[in-house]
Amino acid sequence: MGFDLDFALASVPAILGAIGMTLLVAVTSCFGAAALGFCLEIVRRRGGFVGLGVRFLIDFIRATPVLVWLYCLYFILPFYGVRLSALTVGIAGLSLYYSGYLAEVFKAGIDAIAKGQQEAARALGISRLDTVVFVIAPQMLRNIAAPMGNYFVSILKATPYLAVLAVPEMLGAAFDIASDTYRYAEPLTVAGIIFLALALAISQGVKWLEKRLAVSTVR
Amino acid sequence: MSSSTAMTAMNLRFQKDSLCMQDPRQNLAVEIDALHKWYGAFHVLKGIDLRVAHGSRIVICGPSGSGKSTLIRCLNGLEAYRQGTIMLDGTRLGEDAVQTALARRQTGMVFQNFNLFPHLSVLANCTLALRRVAGMARTEAEALAHHYLEKVRIPEQAHKYPAQLSGGQQQRVAIARALCMSPRLMLFDEPTSALDPEMIREVLDVMTELAHDGMTMICVTHEMGFAREVADEVVFMDQGSIVEQAVPATFFSAPSHPRARNFLSTLLH
Repeated sequence: MGFDLDFALASVPAILGAIGMTLLVAVTSCFGAAALGFCLEIVRRRGGFVGLGVRFLIDFIRATPVLVWLYCLYFILPFYGVRLSALTVGIAGLSLYYSGYLAEVFKAGIDAIAKGQQEAARALGISRLDTVVFVIAPQMLRNIAAPMGNYFVSILKATPYLAVLAVPEMLGAAFDIASDTYRYAEPLTVAGIIFLALALAISQGVKWLEKRLAVSTVR
Repeated sequence: MSSSTAMTAMNLRFQKDSLCMQDPRQNLAVEIDALHKWYGAFHVLKGIDLRVAHGSRIVICGPSGSGKSTLIRCLNGLEAYRQGTIMLDGTRLGEDAVQTALARRQTGMVFQNFNLFPHLSVLANCTLALRRVAGMARTEAEALAHHYLEKVRIPEQAHKYPAQLSGGQQQRVAIARALCMSPRLMLFDEPTSALDPEMIREVLDVMTELAHDGMTMICVTHEMGFAREVADEVVFMDQGSIVEQAVPATFFSAPSHPRARNFLSTLLH
């Protein structure tokens, strides 16, 4: 039983049908992880007791498997009366897990900003929050567009983990076909190719973003 | 009836205005008393006393490490100090957060390394604080920014990014950016030290013009020509203390302290 191209092509629509779920999870988790990671990093930089706690939290997040986070959120939270849908848990789990990594990326991006930038903002009377939003964040993004893009690709590639929660994403759809027909090679190959295409699209997007950001910061 | 009410209101406002106008004359622009600061065990500022009247121009000079930059950075709260008081226009700095913020908003600062925001255009550099701090509308803020960019003579660069400008132009933008907030006191921390020689003049010209407009200025600089021409008083600092304080004519022709004489001779040779 060799690779059946016709069967592979026939399985494309069903697998593509789940691309929406994969993209929904990936995109929301990217935003979630970036927003949470940025907040974690800003609080960590403030130092003090809270900063130390966040530093530990970031290390803790990065030192635990993503599956543990998904299982914890899905199976343990209900014992405490918190019942979340599989999709919510999936997005929350990926966001949380990757926020730890993105916090480290943001740290490098902020460390690279000259100290005088904060001083200039302070001297102009700009509030701490406005300084973060209008002075620090935009410069940080210019410094870290590429590594941040890498983590976005990682998040996309982590979406199949949600299979353990029965979220109907792309790999799950491919696997459904496989287990119905006992043909694994074709649907899994198709899913792999679609993942590859999406990952390439993200990295192209990041390259474009880098170029655009570079225009506004001629060095 | 209504006209007399209006008259009364006008009188009241007039009285209030004249009261407001009197206030700053009673207060000094800056009043520093027995200011001490340490970096760890290092005693950077050792009991600084300095009074600056409104409208006067003070040049602070001295060898590197004498504490002059630290002193003016204390004046707008970029550095905290341990002992002593700083009064800005009658408000004690650091006593109450709201008052301190207000007092600081009346102080403009120009840095040695310009510290322009590299990701924002020249115009946006000037309008950011106007919009976010002063709460001004975009068009209004841009009009004001254009006014000050004209004052520093680079209105045509408004849409460029800082990295596209020369050092002298960047420093003039930094001056315009500070002026946009209508400060009553301008602090300059070695504004020409990072510039190529041919660009120093254009920045000093802008500063001189500002002085002639009556701005209260405290400048840390080694540009002795500027000090001679513009300063009301020259303050010489060494090892964390004010060693000599005199009008330029006296300071340059007959410095009384040997360390000031020594410093001047190293500048001349």
